[in-house]
Amino acid sequence: MLKRNRYMDRGTCLVWVFGDYADYFQNRVTLQLIAKGKALASELGTRVGVVVLGEDIGQYVMEYVAHGADVIYAADNNALKDYDVELFTAVAASWVEIFRPEIFLAGATAFGRELFPRIAKRLRTGLSADCVALEIDRETGAFVQTTPAFGGDLLADVVTPVMRPQMATVHPGIFRELPHDPFALAELIHPPLPNLPERKIEVVRRRKEKARRASLTDAGVVIVGGKGVGSRANFDKLFQLAELLGGEVGATRPAVNAGWAGEERLLGQTGKSVRPRLLITIGTSGALQYTAGIRGSETVIAVNRDHSAPIFGLADLGIVGDADRILSLLIEELNRRL
Amino acid sequence: MEGIRSGAVSAHHNYMISGMLRPGFLVGDPGSAKGFYLLADFLLPGENTPRISGRFFDERGDMLLELTWNRLMLDPADCLYRPTPYGFHLSKSSGEIILETTTRRFPNGYITSFSGRLYDEKGVLKLDQEGSSARLVGNDSIMLTAPYQGCFGKEKKNA
Ligand SMILES: Cc1cc2nc3c(=O)[nH]c(=O)nc-3n(C[C@H](O)[C@H](O)[C@H](O)COP(=O)(O)OP(=O)(O)OC[C@H]3O[C@@H](n4cnc5c(N)ncnc54)[C@H](O)[C@@H]3O)c2cc1C
Repeated sequence: MLKRNRYMDRGTCLVWVFGDYADYFQNRVTLQLIAKGKALASELGTRVGVVVLGEDIGQYVMEYVAHGADVIYAADNNALKDYDVELFTAVAASWVEIFRPEIFLAGATAFGRELFPRIAKRLRTGLSADCVALEIDRETGAFVQTTPAFGGDLLADVVTPVMRPQMATVHPGIFRELPHDPFALAELIHPPLPNLPERKIEVVRRRKEKARRASLTDAGVVIVGGKGVGSRANFDKLFQLAELLGGEVGATRPAVNAGWAGEERLLGQTGKSVRPRLLITIGTSGALQYTAGIRGSETVIAVNRDHSAPIFGLADLGIVGDADRILSLLIEELNRRL
Repeated sequence: MEGIRSGAVSAHHNYMISGMLRPGFLVGDPGSAKGFYLLADFLLPGENTPRISGRFFDERGDMLLELTWNRLMLDPADCLYRPTPYGFHLSKSSGEIILETTTRRFPNGYITSFSGRLYDEKGVLKLDQEGSSARLVGNDSIMLTAPYQGCFGKEKKNA
């Protein structure tokens, strides 16, 4: 266990979020975690802080303040100019040892998934990966991290009773960010930097993948196709339907594996999470690994030819029928009305 | 390891000074009739031009100018105030830069940085150039988390 030190009681802030600003404005997961962290912090009677490492990070710091951060722990330093997992691990772990947060959250982004296991290992604490819910248990006060377990067949509630901090990574899109408040003010702390390990990776050049249409995670309407859609030609009808409804198309693992949709459209535990106003899920059975990515949707309509398919348990409206036939009818009807 | 430095930060506009963001700061007393001061005022949402005031001297302690909210009010040494697309530029008649401000605009906010060297009425360095940014010398600055409400020396005299 960690020993107390002279910094521990400075401006108590026990819920921390890692500020992952790569692809900022598209990648909103840090803002979503600040909102969730703030709710957890208020239950614990404390504040939410964001750790921001890098060079020229001012604009991200200000965005996090506008979206609810109470405290910013920042290092604006040329040595941290590119995301480097070893350097970031060294800095974040040393700051945890100084300030002793209770909870430390990060987005389950490519970098969050690389960074957090290393920090957890360094601090000899637990980490729940790819969480789909985070709560404080009102009776015990425990921080309950819900994560898919046993290959995703179960959702497990994980607690870390002894070691601190309690660390979790969370999928983008699970929580809702707070609105931008330009009047917000926060405490800014520049903790000392530890001796940094030598940089082993040199970033030669960055190339950004071309953005495809509207982001799936921000879409108000999402049409998802599963294995039951049956064929590439049938799957293309999902795009027609999405076009008519001003939405985006998502896919389950078998649909991606069949080549009907790209990996970037995969929803679920190993893909994206969405929270649209309307989600229509067609020819999907409702496996937990998939539904982990659609739990935040406001209204879910499911189409499946098997009336006992688990997806109907989650749907607000269920249609028992053939995927292709229902798709064709919907497109025809919308074309007639719009 | 060096110590912890802390302050406040605004969601809307900050000054980058001594390697930290600050929503506003004050060095010296704008209410004094003669002494050095530098006031980088707190901006509220809706305001997008930083308000800088100050009474600046040269390294011998001779007065150069007095600026109130970005306007040259006293100019005994024939200094030059020049607006730039990103802020303003104050220089001596010789062309030597006294202070330059640069405001960067982001989609949701602004950060203003300084460059130059400022001295007080005793010729003591108060703001120094460090690499591409500026650093306050000494520990006598006050952080502002609301717009400055005090008066300026001349107003006090007239009141
Ligand atoms: C560790 C791990 C991680 C995983 N991560 C993910 C993930 O992120 N995302 C993901 O999607 N999966 C993931 N999976 C796979 C997941 O377990 C399921 O296998 C997958 O979600 C099932 O996809 P599906 O519903 O399209 O296919 P199926 O489960 O095969 O369901 C097809 C459904 O279509 C119906 N159907 C068939 N024909 C028709 C028709 N003509 N008309 C109407 N309905 C029809 C069937 O009744 C059935 O219910 C993961 C698995 C593991 C082990």
